[in-house]
Amino acid sequence: MTSVRARLGRLTLLRKWFPGPVVAAGVWFRRSGVAAQILTLVIVVGVFAIGTRGKYLSWANIQVILSLAAIPAIFAIGLHPTIVLGGIDLSIQGVASLCAVFVGVLLKNQFNSNDVGLWIIPISMAIGGAAGVVCGVLNTGLRIPSFIATLGMSWILYGMAVYVGRAVNVQILDTRIEKFASATLFGVPQIAILAVLFAAIVQVVEDRTRFGRYMYAIGGDEVIAKQAGVNVDRTKIAVFTIAGIIYGLGSLLLACRLGVATSRMGLTLLFPTVTAVAVGGVALTGGIGGAKNAALGALIVTALNDGLVLMHVSPYIQQAVNGVVLIAAVALTIDRKKLGFIK
Amino acid sequence: MSVGNGASRDSILALRGITKTFPGVVALDGVELAIRRNEVVGLVGENGAGKSVLMKIMIGLMQPDEGSIMLGGEPITLRNPLDAIRNGIGMVFQDGSMVPNMSVTENLFLCHENGFSNLGVFSLRSMRESARALLAELHLHIDVNLPVAEIGPAARQMVEIARLLWLSRLYGRDNPVLILDEPTTVLADKERETLFAILRDIKKRASVVFISHRIQEVIENSDRICVLKDGKNVTEMDASDARLVRIEQLMVGHSFSADRFHQDDQGAGGGKEILRVENLDRAGSFEPISFTVGEGEIVSLIGLVGSGKEEVCKCIAGLEKADTGSIFLDGRRLPMGSPSSAVRAGVGHIPIDRRSEGLALMMSVAENVNLLVLNRLKAGVLLSPARERKNAQHWVAECQIKTPSISTMCANLSGGNQQKTVISKWLSSQVRLLILDHPTRGVDVGAKDEIYKLMRRLAKEGIGMIIMCDTLEEDIGLSNRMLVMKDGRLMKEVDSSPRSKPSPQSIISLIV
Amino acid sequence: MVTGKQGDAVNGQETRKRQARKGQIPPVYLTIGLLVIVTLLFFLGNRNFLSLYNINTILSFSAILLMVALGQMCTIVVGGIDLSVGGLVSFISVIFILLIKPMGYLAYPVSLLAGVLIGWINGNILTRIKIPSFIVTLATGGILTSLAYIASPRPVNLSPSLYSVVDLLNGTLFTVSNVLYIGVAVLLLFYVILRFTRTGRNIFYLGSNIKMSWMSGIDIVKTRNIAFMLSGLGAAMTGIMISSIRYGGDPLVGNAYVLNSIAAVVVGGTALTGGTGGVINTVFGAVFMSLLDNGMNVVGIDQYFQQAILGAMVIISVTLTFDREKTPIVK
Repeated sequence: MTSVRARLGRLTLLRKWFPGPVVAAGVWFRRSGVAAQILTLVIVVGVFAIGTRGKYLSWANIQVILSLAAIPAIFAIGLHPTIVLGGIDLSIQGVASLCAVFVGVLLKNQFNSNDVGLWIIPISMAIGGAAGVVCGVLNTGLRIPSFIATLGMSWILYGMAVYVGRAVNVQILDTRIEKFASATLFGVPQIAILAVLFAAIVQVVEDRTRFGRYMYAIGGDEVIAKQAGVNVDRTKIAVFTIAGIIYGLGSLLLACRLGVATSRMGLTLLFPTVTAVAVGGVALTGGIGGAKNAALGALIVTALNDGLVLMHVSPYIQQAVNGVVLIAAVALTIDRKKLGFIK
Repeated sequence: MSVGNGASRDSILALRGITKTFPGVVALDGVELAIRRNEVVGLVGENGAGKSVLMKIMIGLMQPDEGSIMLGGEPITLRNPLDAIRNGIGMVFQDGSMVPNMSVTENLFLCHENGFSNLGVFSLRSMRESARALLAELHLHIDVNLPVAEIGPAARQMVEIARLLWLSRLYGRDNPVLILDEPTTVLADKERETLFAILRDIKKRASVVFISHRIQEVIENSDRICVLKDGKNVTEMDASDARLVRIEQLMVGHSFSADRFHQDDQGAGGGKEILRVENLDRAGSFEPISFTVGEGEIVSLIGLVGSGKEEVCKCIAGLEKADTGSIFLDGRRLPMGSPSSAVRAGVGHIPIDRRSEGLALMMSVAENVNLLVLNRLKAGVLLSPARERKNAQHWVAECQIKTPSISTMCANLSGGNQQKTVISKWLSSQVRLLILDHPTRGVDVGAKDEIYKLMRRLAKEGIGMIIMCDTLEEDIGLSNRMLVMKDGRLMKEVDSSPRSKPSPQSIISLIV
Repeated sequence: MVTGKQGDAVNGQETRKRQARKGQIPPVYLTIGLLVIVTLLFFLGNRNFLSLYNINTILSFSAILLMVALGQMCTIVVGGIDLSVGGLVSFISVIFILLIKPMGYLAYPVSLLAGVLIGWINGNILTRIKIPSFIVTLATGGILTSLAYIASPRPVNLSPSLYSVVDLLNGTLFTVSNVLYIGVAVLLLFYVILRFTRTGRNIFYLGSNIKMSWMSGIDIVKTRNIAFMLSGLGAAMTGIMISSIRYGGDPLVGNAYVLNSIAAVVVGGTALTGGTGGVINTVFGAVFMSLLDNGMNVVGIDQYFQQAILGAMVIISVTLTFDREKTPIVK
């Protein structure tokens, strides 16, 4: 006999009280995998709408939220496949710093005569991708746990970034990318539209390509996946590479938005990105959660922080709130059966 | 009842002369198995007879040391499970081998989705439709979007069978060989009937190797039956000629030297009660069971897969919680579900897998032996290295653990000595009741003997023991009494005193 | 007699060959060897490297790093990791200074207790809510850093009238800085706890085989908590030491210590898989890190390379010490 809780979960109890279409919609909602996140978003928006007496819901503020959430969303989309695999990627800081520095060096600036213009887009992505390949090889070839391999890489890359950038803040004089990002299309910041499109594309790849399915199989049960014929090593390297490429893109956009390229840019990225991914519902144990989860998570975290700022909460308390949110999100999404004894 | 002549008569798959050895043990010795078109072959044998090794070789998970696999008369090499699938050989494992969080559809077509893709992206709708159609062939109608973890073991089995059938069609194999490893263990009665009906249906387009410990079931649902014992073929017969009793007799009956288990040293048993289990019940594992173990008694729990004996022991050791009932040690009630309470009360548990559950491999012999008694090895507030040394040395000598020194890492000891280290850890803490789960598994003959002698000594000192052994002979030889369990129930208590040891044949009829 | 899931190794006897390959050269010897080689290299680069003054500097920094590294080692041996040490060091360094005014010498025990308490909180969240240590400590580290900022957004300086309180730790005795003596004292404390107490031993058992520890009745919650409390203690000590030397606290000061403490532990030969390692290992690790840092400066290597080299060292050490038997699937 299924328990009441299970039946509630399957929404079968609703059949008793609501007509068919409503129940079907409910089931679809639940199956979509982001039900909890959308509910959370609604709650967050609700709380702050009341708390700021409606200021929160002003169109200007919504634009701010969307615009601010786009770049963390991109980073989160980059990070989440490594977590779906069952590992983690802590190299964001290093990769972002390195890419930022190269953006500063290669785009029009006051220190040298470089002016690569829009070529910076593939270049930045290539740098990130290269870093990702190394992480992937360390993980699969040398059998170093992803946690250490990416942490170590982060330090190495940061060192390289500081070496190249010499801790100098470089003004980015080529503002084309920044202008594109901050322009609005029908009132919605273009960078947000970009993030949404990006999430959609990645989500489709995850749901409907062999590569995407392999990722989830490995995250679900690596041994079984291998036996079924999945080429685990190749998939892992590909995932890390793609993550790196996405970080490259995100770093470029971030640097352009800031207008300044500095090697310190990456240092504050790890924590918010991990939080966004966890809040979005991507389970740390692997196998669950897609790009839509990552993007939504970033949106929720940004909405939360924006609300806190509007309510004049001290930035340090904000940080504390974020910390608590991270712990809660992980606690709720983790699959305890997989972890057995927690390390 | 000859062996191997089936190989010549239009067999599609034949294993000839398969031999496989592991360090210290010969798992398979010249085994022959032939499978013909459209037939169900039942494979039976005791635990350790070699069934699983044979199957692993058949699906490419292992390579035989000698022998060959012939498919349609041609020898083939199966390097991995994917190779086997391409040749039309697949297995449904006892524990299932699907990715739990992925849906039925996704698991069905994993790694073979190319047929559904269009420019690299596959159509979920067509996959779902195909999935439903495939499952309908097996009379299974479930929501194919559900993650397989949520659909129940019977449905999971069907999905795996469906996948194998589909894959063999994909690779153009018209009569695939499906191996079902203990499929009925996780099924309820009605589900079993469904499975057998499906088998009769599948027979028309495939062959099946059916492994089960329920001999009657095998007789009723197979065409031919092969019996394995000690890694060798014993016999092969048509199901119509098979009789339950005859098969049971053939499965057991090893010859051992007269006093291998030191039966002369077996105590009388029946001393003061140490352990009393009353109406212990755990839904899904075992039904209300009650028994006692007295001082100096060795009680053996006998049963095959699914009998519930391992779970009973786990409850006594505090590793699992029973739903109802109570456990008394030396008359005092034992709180359930708490290993530390059990340990404090004097219950010791020697796990089946000493490497992952019994020892801290990277730590020294001394550190492992002293683990439970550190409180007693103090000088003042701090641990005393001298006392630790003395205690470790004492037990190394007592149990004859062969080690270069007490500071040697346990990982460097042989299996038998590792086992003795685990035993000394518990002995050091003055246990009252010791549960030994397959105590001589993976241990060489000499060390086995030493462990038997050790057990006799412990019994003399008044320690009660519950044992579960690798072979019936070991259980019979070592114990004072045997508790036979089947399907979660305690069927019978059998006396096993030195002068009147039962024969394995008489026992096996109770457990199959 | 083969049972178990498909893909399992045979649960039989291991061949002697495979056994012998384990535990061949204790990692500590590798570290010592590396130490000697690197010292020589630096000496060749700059003779001043081995001047008495410089040696004192190196050892002093080692001592400071050692304290937080010893704590980190406890959490790594027990099978987790503590990423909050950076935030803890910053936080304690700030509140220690702030507490001197109202409390005088009591600031010492209060700060230490604060560190221990935070470690206890880490341990509890980890075990009771069942969240991996690196997430918990990542989060608490962030929270602590912000608390440090809240307490004092800018570096806070001790007023000269109160210098005497911290001068307790600042002087030298027989030309050796007090810092070293304190380092040795803390070292001995950890050594005694880990080797000569039951809980210390349990930390090793837990890290080595958590399932067996549970089955043998070891109190997992308590043992883990103690490991993290020790980490809190070590980090607090480091925070106090740093503030004493600088006569002031700084919320930024702890950032480098996460990296450096993990590196010291891992390079010293303690495996990330837990269950092995020791105080001596970490001592050599801390000395090595400090030496590397100092030497690279003395010889004139770009500061920027240093972090890269650090990262490489960590990766190499982990590769060498990781116990692959424990984790057949490396995620």
